[in-house]
Amino acid sequence: MAKVLIPTPLRQYAGGQKEVEVPGATVGEVFAALTTAFADLRNHLYTNEGKLRTFVNVYLNDDDVRYLDRDKTAVAASDTLSIVPSIAGGRR
Amino acid sequence: MIRIEDSAWKVMLEHAIRAYPGECCGILLGREDQGGQRTVSIAIPCRNAYQGDQSDRFLIDPRDQIAADRRARSESLDVLGFFHSHPDHGLYFSETDLKNSWPWYSNIVLSIRKGEFSEAGAFRADEAQTLATREELVHPRE
Repeated sequence: MAKVLIPTPLRQYAGGQKEVEVPGATVGEVFAALTTAFADLRNHLYTNEGKLRTFVNVYLNDDDVRYLDRDKTAVAASDTLSIVPSIAGGRR
Repeated sequence: MIRIEDSAWKVMLEHAIRAYPGECCGILLGREDQGGQRTVSIAIPCRNAYQGDQSDRFLIDPRDQIAADRRARSESLDVLGFFHSHPDHGLYFSETDLKNSWPWYSNIVLSIRKGEFSEAGAFRADEAQTLATREELVHPRE
């Protein structure tokens, strides 16, 4: 099973866990299983239309899945998926 | 309340002054106790990844966040938040900051005027990211 690393703000929606092992052969399957196990995570990761929120980045090991095959990106049991908050800003 | 340890504060100040007149950015690692008090023991200076005028914008590269998250996990710490500077501007959490932040995290803003530290404050966004509230910040004297 692939490992999903949960960022600190979302751990409260994942049973307080820092990382979760989830089954699935693709990124889409892993995240479907993750949000089935922890339903409260869904609203924080996906829009009402079921699309990954723009301020949520998902990395497979060191690669942004948006530049791979998105939800269809293949995932091996040894892989680590990171949920990475998009952080930016500025004085204006 | 969020407290910054000496070594982390030194890193934050040096990074903000070095980046002037651009905005600096970085990641804060530490621990939150049972009462919700946060202590930052490590500040990681990051490259401002914003492609454009960096005098009023910053972007943290997700790869830097992944590296920081790995370090936090290996040292039994947590990513508590982020810091950035406002060159020649005061202490506030702008609409841009609010829209591009995440709830829960502490966001420390350093006001740098004429290349020197002026003041600092901490802010947290609400769940809807429509409001930022001040968080008590305790830092060493510069």
